[in-house]
Amino acid sequence: MSEFALHVATIAALYAMLALSLNLQAGFAGLINFGQIALFGCGTYGAALAFSHALGPLAGFALGLVLVVLVALLFARLGRNLGADYWGIATLSIGEILRTIATNEIDITGGAQGIGGIPALFDTGSPLSGRLILFAVVLAALIATWFAFRRLTQSKFGLSLRLLREEPQLAAAFGYDLDGLRRRIMLAAALPAALSGFLFAHYLTFVGPDQLFASETFVIWTMVVVGGLGSHAGAVIGAIVVQCLFALVPFAKDAFGLPSEFVAAMRLVLIGGGLIGFLLLRPQGLIPERIGGVRG
Amino acid sequence: MIPIIIDIVLRTGDIALAAVALSAGYSLVKFPNIALMQYATVGPFLAYLFASWGAPLVAAALAACIAVGLIAVLLNITVFDRLLKSGSAIAMIGSLAAGMLFTAALLVTAGPDSRHFDFPVEAPLNVFGSPVTGPQLLAVAISLAAFVLLAALLFLTDIGRCMRATATNPDLARATGIDARLVVRVIIFLSGVLAALGGIGIAVKGELNILMGQDLMLPVFAAAILGGLGNPMGAIFGALVIATAETLAATLNFGPLIGKAFLFIPANYITAASFLILVLALLFRPHGLFVNEVKRV
Repeated sequence: MSEFALHVATIAALYAMLALSLNLQAGFAGLINFGQIALFGCGTYGAALAFSHALGPLAGFALGLVLVVLVALLFARLGRNLGADYWGIATLSIGEILRTIATNEIDITGGAQGIGGIPALFDTGSPLSGRLILFAVVLAALIATWFAFRRLTQSKFGLSLRLLREEPQLAAAFGYDLDGLRRRIMLAAALPAALSGFLFAHYLTFVGPDQLFASETFVIWTMVVVGGLGSHAGAVIGAIVVQCLFALVPFAKDAFGLPSEFVAAMRLVLIGGGLIGFLLLRPQGLIPERIGGVRG
Repeated sequence: MIPIIIDIVLRTGDIALAAVALSAGYSLVKFPNIALMQYATVGPFLAYLFASWGAPLVAAALAACIAVGLIAVLLNITVFDRLLKSGSAIAMIGSLAAGMLFTAALLVTAGPDSRHFDFPVEAPLNVFGSPVTGPQLLAVAISLAAFVLLAALLFLTDIGRCMRATATNPDLARATGIDARLVVRVIIFLSGVLAALGGIGIAVKGELNILMGQDLMLPVFAAAILGGLGNPMGAIFGALVIATAETLAATLNFGPLIGKAFLFIPANYITAASFLILVLALLFRPHGLFVNEVKRV
């Protein structure tokens, strides 16, 4: 049981990093990214490809960073002349294109079977202590991301992001370089997403295209919306709440003797219902964005 | 050549109705409604259900379309109208979430297995030397009839004139006494009916399962954006472009281009063709092929 709790905690922390990343884009800069999972996938496939070419995890992390920088710059370039909803569709389709490539380039990515057997990062003899150390690393990465993003959004740069979200034309009139802002925000948000993917790959020891379905992006979206768009603490809390609810679904299924379709349906209801419910009834989320109190 | 053209026409029929529905809805309610893809899934499932109760197929399809149209209006009043006040992107996320709830409902009630409409197996007809099945012809006929009726409604009737007026300039339309709320409801109802009809067209040709809507999403968005979102007739043309690209990618031999005997695009990448067209369209022609205006969207 404690191992299961550790598993849920690790996954929740990894998703919290993804939620922080999405929150920086969507909550602060108003960039509606529907391809967030592609940034995560850069990290997972970086780790997996380095492993399948017998390179160390360090090379895997570097490869993941290179991939994620390319994808983030592509996203930012697309954002140059698109409104928020169009950009969402564009990022969604790029995510799907990348997943199609991962599924079909069997020689490189292992196709739909993925790449398995990626070694755990910390081999201490007993698997449990290795997992404990990894959880500590994930937690440290999460806290580092949180503090870095908080510094970022409380700086003058953070103010310009909110201006980009609220009044892009005013920001342009003030002389802000909107393209540069978008590029920098995508890069800043992409790094923790790739790091989360890299740690995820070494934690689960398996990487496959099924982890990159667009529906995973919307899981992250639910976390951010439930927690509160534009609030770092909200993103983390949203991730914890959603992951805990997900972890409870199989128990509920067993307790009530429901068919196995129930698990998939219940996940969809949690995501869809959570999104609609919060958007309609509490659009500011569990922890609303703090307005003011920021001096650039 | 003839088989390729037939493939293109059939695929256009698959995409076009949902794309027209998306575009028509967008012309008055300014957000891309992702839940439309689920209307295209719920429609054939309802038709299947009504048919299994003993209704003749045409009546079952008609009832399913009307039911989906009513669901669309209801959802628009209770959810999307309110979300739209916080912006089109928020409304789009809401429509996506609504789509997930539809999928969950279908998963619990109908289950994940594929189904077929009961058609007697007949020998395929011979159209210019190519085999075409009866249901395939039926699906194309449904699409064509729907387009003609929609065009007639938009361009020949008073409510159609009101719709076009409201789409072009909502304030002016209201000032001239057009009941904008009614016009919006009519067009949302129509978009639900069209999406359901498109789904039924796909389902009678092959099978229906709960992933239909998801598979339809990106080709339909690509078609609607190519035609210019908000321009229903352009969406038909967009669907034609997407269908042509997909069919040619599937059937053309690219070998001679690089000096080899055979080079076919792997079948799994063909679906990616429409995603790629979508990204290119958004990069260079975000307002659609017919608009030259340089403007932020």
